[in-house]
Amino acid sequence: MKNGNTATVDPVTLSVLWNGLISVADDMGTTLRHTAYSAAVREGDDFSTGIFDARGRLVAQGNFSPGHLGSMPYVVRHVLDHFAPADFEPGDCVLLNDSFMGSGHYPDCFMTSPLFVDGRLAGFAVNIAHHVDMGGAVPGSQIVDVREAFQEGLRILPVRIARRGKLREDVLRLILGNVRLPEIVRGDLLAQRNANAVAAERYAGLVGKHGSDRVEAAIDAILDRSEARMRELIEALPDGTWSHEDFMDDDTRAGEPLRFHVEVTVDGDSIVLDWSASSDQVEAGINSYINYTRAYSGFAVKVFTDPHLPQNEGVNRPVEIRARSGSFFNPEYPAPSSGRAINQIRMFEVVCGAFAKMRPEPAMASFSHWSNPVMGGVDDRPGRGRRPFVFYDVIYGGYGGRSSKDGAEGLCPVFNATNIPVEVHESQAPVRVRRLEFIPDSAGAGRFRGGCGVRKDVELLASRATVSLSGDRHRLFPPGLAGGRPGTRGETVLNPGREEARLASKETRDLVRGDVVSYRLSGAGGYGPPGERDEEAIRRDLADGYLSAGAAREVYGLEESRIDSRNTP
Amino acid sequence: MLRLAIDTGGTFTDFVLREQASGASWFAKTLSTPSEPARATLEGIDRLASVRPFRLADIGEILIATTVATNAILERKGGRTALVTTRGFRDVLIMGRSKRFDTYDLWLDKPRPLVPRRAIHEVDERIGPDGEVLAPLDPDSVAAVAERLAADGVESVAVSLLHAYANPAHERAAGGILAERLGGPARNRKVPISLSSDVSPRRREYERTSTVVANAYVKPIVGRFLAELEAAFASLGFTGELRVMQSNGGLTTPALAREYPVNIIESGPAAGVLACRATGARERLNHVITFDMGGTTAKVGVIDDGEPAITSTFEVDGVNLRKWSGLPLDVPAVELVEIGAGGGSIASTRLGLVAVGPESAGAEPGPVCYARGGGRATLTDANLVLGYLDPDSFAGGQIRIDRGAAERATREQIGEPLGLDLAAAAWGVHRIANANMERALRSMSIERGRDPRDYALVAFGGAGPLHACALARALGIPRVIVPRGAGVASAIGLLEAERNLTVSLTRTIGLDGPEAASELAGLFAGLEARARELIGGSGGRPIAWQRHAHLRYAGQGFELRIAMPAGPIDAAFPARAREAFDSRYEAEYGYAQREEPAEGTDWFLTGGPGRNPAPAPASGPTGSPGRDARTDREDADSDPQTHPDPPRSGATGEGGRTAGSARPAPIGTVTAWLADASDRSGGAWADWPVFDRDGLRTGDRLAGPAIVAERESTTLLPAGDTARVSGEGNLLIDVSAREGGTPP
Repeated sequence: MKNGNTATVDPVTLSVLWNGLISVADDMGTTLRHTAYSAAVREGDDFSTGIFDARGRLVAQGNFSPGHLGSMPYVVRHVLDHFAPADFEPGDCVLLNDSFMGSGHYPDCFMTSPLFVDGRLAGFAVNIAHHVDMGGAVPGSQIVDVREAFQEGLRILPVRIARRGKLREDVLRLILGNVRLPEIVRGDLLAQRNANAVAAERYAGLVGKHGSDRVEAAIDAILDRSEARMRELIEALPDGTWSHEDFMDDDTRAGEPLRFHVEVTVDGDSIVLDWSASSDQVEAGINSYINYTRAYSGFAVKVFTDPHLPQNEGVNRPVEIRARSGSFFNPEYPAPSSGRAINQIRMFEVVCGAFAKMRPEPAMASFSHWSNPVMGGVDDRPGRGRRPFVFYDVIYGGYGGRSSKDGAEGLCPVFNATNIPVEVHESQAPVRVRRLEFIPDSAGAGRFRGGCGVRKDVELLASRATVSLSGDRHRLFPPGLAGGRPGTRGETVLNPGREEARLASKETRDLVRGDVVSYRLSGAGGYGPPGERDEEAIRRDLADGYLSAGAAREVYGLEESRIDSRNTP
Repeated sequence: MLRLAIDTGGTFTDFVLREQASGASWFAKTLSTPSEPARATLEGIDRLASVRPFRLADIGEILIATTVATNAILERKGGRTALVTTRGFRDVLIMGRSKRFDTYDLWLDKPRPLVPRRAIHEVDERIGPDGEVLAPLDPDSVAAVAERLAADGVESVAVSLLHAYANPAHERAAGGILAERLGGPARNRKVPISLSSDVSPRRREYERTSTVVANAYVKPIVGRFLAELEAAFASLGFTGELRVMQSNGGLTTPALAREYPVNIIESGPAAGVLACRATGARERLNHVITFDMGGTTAKVGVIDDGEPAITSTFEVDGVNLRKWSGLPLDVPAVELVEIGAGGGSIASTRLGLVAVGPESAGAEPGPVCYARGGGRATLTDANLVLGYLDPDSFAGGQIRIDRGAAERATREQIGEPLGLDLAAAAWGVHRIANANMERALRSMSIERGRDPRDYALVAFGGAGPLHACALARALGIPRVIVPRGAGVASAIGLLEAERNLTVSLTRTIGLDGPEAASELAGLFAGLEARARELIGGSGGRPIAWQRHAHLRYAGQGFELRIAMPAGPIDAAFPARAREAFDSRYEAEYGYAQREEPAEGTDWFLTGGPGRNPAPAPASGPTGSPGRDARTDREDADSDPQTHPDPPRSGATGEGGRTAGSARPAPIGTVTAWLADASDRSGGAWADWPVFDRDGLRTGDRLAGPAIVAERESTTLLPAGDTARVSGEGNLLIDVSAREGGTPP
């Protein structure tokens, strides 16, 4: 798709403008992070920002969460379906969190604002923040154990939440009256408004300096060049179709494993990822609405072509993401989806598996499956004023073994957020973390081993609370690649060492004071045959306690006499 | 009294000798000797003494900035270090904050911790977030760890227990047991112990642990370095005081530097910022943006009301300066935004665009024009092509420059892929580097609520003065100052530093409650007691205290660092602190939430003997390396209305030009690129007059386009800008709003 703009922009000015547009998106992120209230945004970096032109084309994005980024172009389209450009005034903000229109679950609230230059609508700023609570069945509004979206919380279709820079109190009342932590939600909505205000000012400055003709011509050039580069990269891939599949253990109904099946077709300079052969949509809050499917499919394509490609509409043009309507990856409303975040690892792994068949080098074995439990209730410890709390947690294990090195330890898989410090959690919520450590012998063996699983034990200090669990790889092993062994499976144990109970990976549980939930993530898969592992690397793992002497013997065949006992823990 | 400042950098060690009474200074520079850092120091002292004879016995004070701690981390050459932590939390250091520094690169690796997992040991104990003891420290578990560490031959130990910021009792007890078991008379050695509650008593276990581990890791090497220096100085008769620069811009004693070496990691850059402060102060400007551009990076800092902006956390050993890629250190440091834009930054094309940095050719192999094996075009190559650098006198004539090679590389690597001719390609590289730096300047100024029109830009480093005017114009900064002695700025900055010490504490305290004043009074009294204990005697001088806090609206997770009101902590104190916070918040984010409760999380107390009296105006002989000392001061100043110079006596110079009318003669002209004022991408070759900085005299005036050349750097004065040499010998540049236009 070429554009008709006739203004020309020299390469240097284009470079300046392009960097300028990206910096606007980055500045929005800085503002959002610094003025937000919820731990997910400020500690977890669970937010994203983007700039669109007047035609609704994605021009630049901040380097934040890919799940949000892939959804943004569609958010703007849906906003424009509901509001005529003439309806907008400077400082307006439109909010939505619908799972289909947005990024697949209600906590992700998108705020879109028109950008005006000299009284003329010149573009849009969009940011998205993961809110601490949007009402519904459980604190945090993420629950797998529901049958329909109505149980998941407050659904917001595009609504004008701010007029001329001021939040509308009537709309706010409607929203805040439905959420558990209204002050925090209000604060984060303010932070989102601030981010768009920063974008409006910076964008106007950029256009004012370079002139709107030049900026528009530059945007055309940016999108066309990004597209051309993406086509060039796809062209370099072999033509053909590659399929791969893997499974999630189950939904909460303890039924069959969920099939994640992707068919990757490269045809010349375009690529199609088709998820249609996957499971049907399920009656559990885990479905992946199409925007979420698009987001992580696009993310994977970028990772396997050029990680440093710009993130804009041009790059997306040669990439088509398909999924059968009514399937797990393109469910129909009111399919519930609030726990859909646990899918992204598997989606990436499945695309990775397909690419591994195309070209083995850049692939990696499966991740340690992360866990995203949310605990909530009332902090009724004496002297604390009975405040409601939501304890949102993210637990990350290791990466799968890669073709040239071991998997990384303790690193956020795929979506890329930070963890939340134990000392911050314990200062804010009635919980005590009993331990947080790697699980020895959990890594999948291989020439390059996977990263370790992680164990985190959390005790409830309030008299009661509800926890919604969101994990996987409890039943099915995380596979290795190219002859590498799988990692160990994960498990979630209630009250270890006492009246131990095994919990399902995705159930919702009521807890009482003193209960300890022990999350034990699966290990990541290994790459290449374990017999080819360098003996020095085995010794190093022994010395560091990642590997026991027994496992060194059994898995790698390292003889007793060659194990230096002083170096084993 | 004579004072001697020594800045031990990675490549050069810089020296400044100052005669305190007259303010006269002499400079010297030697190549650093990283394997035995003290050697370069002694060589430099000899060299300096050959210019201005002196004996170390005559020196009252020696001030040191050093990269020895930083290099130990970058090269992983610190001591054999172990970490002792709470049972169940062995892996905090290795997990870190778990975020990829590049979202789309799943093949990257995390920063490598300074201690491997095998050297991380657990002890039985647990403290809660309010400092309550949940499980007592089991001394036997500590003793068992001590045995293991002794067997491993550990040279330094870090202790970081959960919530130790709230209650240091367990760390202190564990530290005591470790010290006794690992060292003491029985073993005839001493193994230093670093406690997180001493080094960085702040909430967030990973950052605190990373900080205390870095402290322990560099302790042996910094200890040896300082011991060598002290011995060498003593053997030469030095009986004065040795002081070490800290990252926060304060000087400390060798004893405290040995104990808390993590505080000296950024000592050189901090001294550079202080040099800018001093330059600004001499020109009666106390709002300054500092701009240091060298071979690899550009660093931007800020002075507000004469005080450098301080950050409470930064990263060391990162990848391309990207957040999350390095090791976090939660200790105060002069705040610098650093980007990969230096003379050696590599220029490339991608998607039909020009990119500069963050990759750098560094000093080795260096830019293509150095002809030392560098094959990739750099910013320095582009500046050479544009005629801004003189190939014959580059770096004081020490480096032979191949201009043809620079032209070839720029044409082939930038021009041809983009369809640009040589000049347009080189100008493109120059402009993109400027755009990158403009962003760094913007983030330190406009994005943090500072109006650039209120600031002067002080430019130093080899490449700083070359790009400063264009950057100032882009930001709307009306004045650029290129100080004298820009090549040894950090060493000069040492002479301007105060002695100080910062102690801190994490505790969440609301500012709106009835108890706030008494809680804060108690907290700061405790901090003061600790600071006094560390400072020891202050030599009879009263200690000046400054309080800072990290404040936020209750429930937010990001805090602003706010200077607390001075004076006693009375009932009105919390409200005044709050007002300072609301105002700052409004400046940064455009609105304040005055109705929301505010709270502080971290509290800092800095104490020292106070600011030195305003720097004495220089009036005596000055000199520079390789040249005889000579007088080059004037007392005339041309523009008393805007720049009243301090009254001063004595010196008269060689030139003796009349104030206000001096139009010095250029030493020659060069053909250089002159940008088109209306269309930034166009331009033409033109003849630019070249002036010798050393030949300029107070009151001399220049109008752009002009080039001012000196030994270690080159100042580019674009068309429309005018410069004047101040009574202090600094180049003061009035920057016009538009290039080629008239000054504002």
